[in-house]
Amino acid sequence: MAKQSRRDFFKTTALIGSATVGLANSAKASQKNALSEDRAGVLVDTSVCIGCRKCEWACKTVNNLPTDPLEVYQDRGVFKKHRRPNDKALTVVNEYPNTTSEKFPINVKVQCMHCDKPTCLSACIVGAFSKNENGSVVWDTHKCIGCRYCMVACPFQIPAFEYEEALKPDIKKCDFCFERTAKGKIPGCVEICPVEAITYGRREDLLEAAKEKIKNYPNRYVNRIFGEHEVGGTSWLYLSNRQFEELAFPKLGKDPAPGVSEAIQHGIFAYFVPPVALYALLGGVMWLNKNKKHTDAENES
Amino acid sequence: MKSKVLILLLTIPFFVYAQNKLSKQHQTQALNCKTCHSCDIPTKENPCIKPCPRERLITIEQTPEDAPAVLTIDKLKKQSDIYAPVVFTHRLHSEMAEIGGGCGMCHHYNPPGNVVACSECHDEERKRIDLSKPDLKGAYHQQCINCHRGWSRKVECESCHAQNDSVKKATKTTEKGTEKKRVHPKVKPPEIVKYDTPKTKGKVVTFNHVDHVNTFSVSCNKCHSNESCNKCHAKYKQVSISSRSANEKHTSCSNCHNVKVNCSYCHKNTVAAPFNHKTRTGFDLDKNHSKLACVRCHVEKGKFTGLKTDCSTCHGTWTKENFKHSVTGLLLDEVHADFECKDCHQENNYSNITCKNCHEDITYPKDKPGKMIKNRQTLAK
Ligand code: SF4
Ligand code: SF4
Repeated sequence: MAKQSRRDFFKTTALIGSATVGLANSAKASQKNALSEDRAGVLVDTSVCIGCRKCEWACKTVNNLPTDPLEVYQDRGVFKKHRRPNDKALTVVNEYPNTTSEKFPINVKVQCMHCDKPTCLSACIVGAFSKNENGSVVWDTHKCIGCRYCMVACPFQIPAFEYEEALKPDIKKCDFCFERTAKGKIPGCVEICPVEAITYGRREDLLEAAKEKIKNYPNRYVNRIFGEHEVGGTSWLYLSNRQFEELAFPKLGKDPAPGVSEAIQHGIFAYFVPPVALYALLGGVMWLNKNKKHTDAENES
Repeated sequence: MKSKVLILLLTIPFFVYAQNKLSKQHQTQALNCKTCHSCDIPTKENPCIKPCPRERLITIEQTPEDAPAVLTIDKLKKQSDIYAPVVFTHRLHSEMAEIGGGCGMCHHYNPPGNVVACSECHDEERKRIDLSKPDLKGAYHQQCINCHRGWSRKVECESCHAQNDSVKKATKTTEKGTEKKRVHPKVKPPEIVKYDTPKTKGKVVTFNHVDHVNTFSVSCNKCHSNESCNKCHAKYKQVSISSRSANEKHTSCSNCHNVKVNCSYCHKNTVAAPFNHKTRTGFDLDKNHSKLACVRCHVEKGKFTGLKTDCSTCHGTWTKENFKHSVTGLLLDEVHADFECKDCHQENNYSNITCKNCHEDITYPKDKPGKMIKNRQTLAK
């Protein structure tokens, strides 16, 4: 019994410790986060996607969002309208007519692009976003104050707000299946895709594979990988047989989009909120420590 | 320095050995190693095969009949699968492919020898190192869906898969027996196809399909490649021929005919008669020659004119020593066997036979200089 509690204690401390470090990092609005060479990405080949919308279903399933049964997703009627990801669907697939071969319309999956230099992260005044070494941009419900700066800042208009949630509305967006990938799994949408229109792997390898494809099939692809340089590079990359602008991709420069509130965040919050949080956490560690010691002592006596 | 030399000497036999291990066909291929392999010394463990496209490397000697009739594609079967494995009518599909791009439509990489299984190149794991080609699940689906989608304009899983949890499963598996009998019925080719072209002079182009297939031995897929099922099964309207550009319309013909010159060769004012070697060239393809492929005599590629009608053009000079007369069906008697050819055959094509040189009252074929035998062989070159 005593052993058990001691181990638990070490675990808790380690957890809190890492959380604190994490916080300290994000408090500095971690644009400077070392982007790991091995960070993951996804290559979406729009010329391969068949618009089966299985990924939409899988995404909801792995994220515990309410969903219709899989069969319902075969309805291509939804393509009449161009949809955006929202708090109920973190990814959606849209359809565009193919002018050269009407039999094969072009389908484009949309979700968070997981920018290398995320604007949402720079915009967030409380550091609720973090860019992880594995490439994902994730959001922390405990820190969010609901200001929705991120929604305005995102060049792809991805973060969505649960307007219908009265008590504790969350910001919702694709988190690159952070929990799944941490366990060594691949994202839900990638796993289900029947044609592997979406390939998961090292971003570097994906870029190489994409360039190889363009080289081998120059008539099939436009000579551009969307996300290679856009807004400083994104984890999700796109290949296409159409100019990206025709497929409703935003026109973006190579520079990271400017963070709305970066200055404010640097000026005030970086030196204010985090120390408070840090102290609170350290206090927590001490408190837990004391408690556990108590139990240990009790058990030993 | 010494050790380097030693290493070099020791490794040379290894390279030689590795080279010798190549299959016979592999050796006879006039290929550069680098066409397929990315590294200098491919080994069995690390063949470093380059990713597609490797269109130049499709050699499939097998025919649809050699192929399995039905395959159950269950390589990726997992307990958690939503859909059951596909029962794939391989024979039926390979027959359909014959009029499309052939076996190579799916087997898009195949060195000579056995047909390479998809899983040899495509990884079964989606999380993998080599991202240059789709994983096995992606490869299967891309291959199937690209045709099926063009055909039905839908991407329903159920057209190939039964759902695992439903009763449909039972019906699909029992179908397996009947699937074996499903073959594509023989396609009945047209005899002639008449095209009305926009040309004012030489409006009509008659394509004699029978001649091209039987007389000229043009294989089906020389013209019919990449044809979709829709061409015959008009589920959706095909692009009409008139909307194709002049260039596109001529592509099938330009494989063999020079379409840049001599339009009137094909473009006539009325429907053209079938090809007849005798009326066209004066040389009758009698029973001795009718079965020969054109190239047996017209050896120069693409050139079908200029051959003389003399037998010696192809056969060389015959003498009584080198010609076994019995192959004609007439075994010469002892007396006649001693004569020179020209004693009876005065023309270069050996057709007219005269007895006048020696006999006054005898004519061929009423009287014969020997006896007719049944066991005649064909004349070899
Ligand atoms: S990575 Fe995960 S959260 Fe993002 S779209 Fe795919 S399934 Fe949804
Ligand atoms: S599952 Fe794959 S093929 Fe289907 S819509 Fe999503 S990305 Fe496209």
